[in-house]
Amino acid sequence: MTPDLAIVGGGPAGITLALALANTPIRILLLESGGFEFDAATQDLYAGEESGVRYIPLNGTRLRYLGGCSNHWGGWSRPLERIDFEKRDWLRYSGWPFPREELEPYFPRAQALIEAGPFLYDRLAKANLPGTLLPLGPGGVYNSFFQFSRWKENPQHLPTAFGHRYADDLKRIANLQTMLHANVTGLRLAKDVRWVDRLDVATLSGRNFTVKPRHTVVACGGIENARLLLASNDVVSTGVGNENDLVGRFFADHAIPRDTATLVVFGGEIAGFYKANADVSGARIRAALAPTDSFRRDRKLLGSTPTVEQRVELDALDQAAVTTVSTAMGVDASNAHAYSLGTGLELAPDPERRVTLDGVRDALGMPRLKLHMTISDDDLTSYRTTLTELGRQLLAAKSGMLRMDRRTRAEWLSVMDWGNHHMGTTRMHDDAKQGVVDANSQVHGLANLFIAGSSVFPTYGASNPTLNLVALTLRLADHLKGVFR
Amino acid sequence: MNRRTIVAGSAAGLAIVAAGAIALRPDRLLRKRYPPTPYDDLLGLLTDRELARQIGRVYLSGHANFTSATAAGALRKHIAHRPLEIVLTDEVASGQLVEAAHWIMPETLVGLCALAARS
Repeated sequence: MTPDLAIVGGGPAGITLALALANTPIRILLLESGGFEFDAATQDLYAGEESGVRYIPLNGTRLRYLGGCSNHWGGWSRPLERIDFEKRDWLRYSGWPFPREELEPYFPRAQALIEAGPFLYDRLAKANLPGTLLPLGPGGVYNSFFQFSRWKENPQHLPTAFGHRYADDLKRIANLQTMLHANVTGLRLAKDVRWVDRLDVATLSGRNFTVKPRHTVVACGGIENARLLLASNDVVSTGVGNENDLVGRFFADHAIPRDTATLVVFGGEIAGFYKANADVSGARIRAALAPTDSFRRDRKLLGSTPTVEQRVELDALDQAAVTTVSTAMGVDASNAHAYSLGTGLELAPDPERRVTLDGVRDALGMPRLKLHMTISDDDLTSYRTTLTELGRQLLAAKSGMLRMDRRTRAEWLSVMDWGNHHMGTTRMHDDAKQGVVDANSQVHGLANLFIAGSSVFPTYGASNPTLNLVALTLRLADHLKGVFR
Repeated sequence: MNRRTIVAGSAAGLAIVAAGAIALRPDRLLRKRYPPTPYDDLLGLLTDRELARQIGRVYLSGHANFTSATAAGALRKHIAHRPLEIVLTDEVASGQLVEAAHWIMPETLVGLCALAARS
């Protein structure tokens, strides 16, 4: 098998790349480990070990069949913010090799692929909303908006599962061959170690074969991309693309602490689009309360997206606080409603938060992974600063007030959930000593190997990654068209 | 006009005056009464001293070095006879906030709550 391009992995990135390169002269082979549906034996290939802060088991945080993690994503979508791309002196290892403007031309097509309706997001603040925006005084937190993926042909089926949604489209692409149940177990380098010579492929039924593509894009997901590079260590002992010991480091996910604060709205019930998804202007939306770029720069803060979780009751002490504050400020809070706030929380890049190879091997003989998870006190302090500002702006607008529900690290960790947003393990940087891939997602030092997906995100923001990684993959597709021209 | 008429008329007049006073300032009759303290000028700014005490007690549990006389002096100087609502609005605008019972509140209001708890 000698395709022009091998795409390793049929998740959102791999499928997007195949769709974007349809009807080009490029002969493509898409290799997907799973089939059309969940299979326990295939899923077990993901099992591994974890240490550090409690995290989701490695075979529970992702799905190994066509469509990948889009088979269990929640559809939450939001573009990364401008500051997320900036190198910030106060945030070590931060910055992308290009600004957000570089991705913006790809957002409309990415938005269409994830089927999230018109690209509105923060412009929704000026739309005809079915309810009133929460009044906030001037300051660093603003009303921001998520949009949600949904399958146009079946609006009740949320969100878009790339495998099911695009399987027929993939079959119709003349220059594409898709192989299911085909596990790439090794990237075999040429003797000069500047070129991937071939891919070793194995099936759980015992077949083994080799593929010799001209170029390869690894699109196995934010954890598995690193595993495949690290495990391909037959020629270079540290693995492929790992001369500078970066592959697998800087793993990130969005921490999702629940019930982080209590929001009281003096005037009564908060608008429905804060509490649940709502349909507005052809989009399914949900409001959040996010820090502005300028506030984050000024106060040196990570990204976060506080959202309303559910209505809560106030005890006598809380009611005393609400009455004392509201009367002192000349506000009627007799009909006040209270809600718990959760958030998606960006973590600072940390080289010690990483995946490494384990001595244990899976059914195909590949080393399993060990994940060491961390979250720093500074990450949590950053979010508390944003909450304090939100509380201040509510008082300034005389629209409400805020209670901080978590103080100690133990309290934070007790309510910690994770987004299953795997990022960072093959980070992007112009300098080979600071990144695994360059600005075009090409592995430094290897002429024919690229990586797609959120594993290349060098800084993560608080936005959910799917929209952004699809846009980034569309950009990679344009680059590859040039490579093959 | 006989004596009985004068007495009855005076009583009626006093009743009207008292009723008028009650109608114009019902809070004076309804407001809870507390033993006098050296800080009544400040505590009088609070609408409900009992509720404020609840917040103040929690705040003081983490601020053992709070002294009423010092705090009262600072509060009087800071408030400077301005309406409390104006003082608090200014504090919110300038970020002079503290956490009391986990709630984010204007500094002066928390000071008044603490004073109420100690009084």
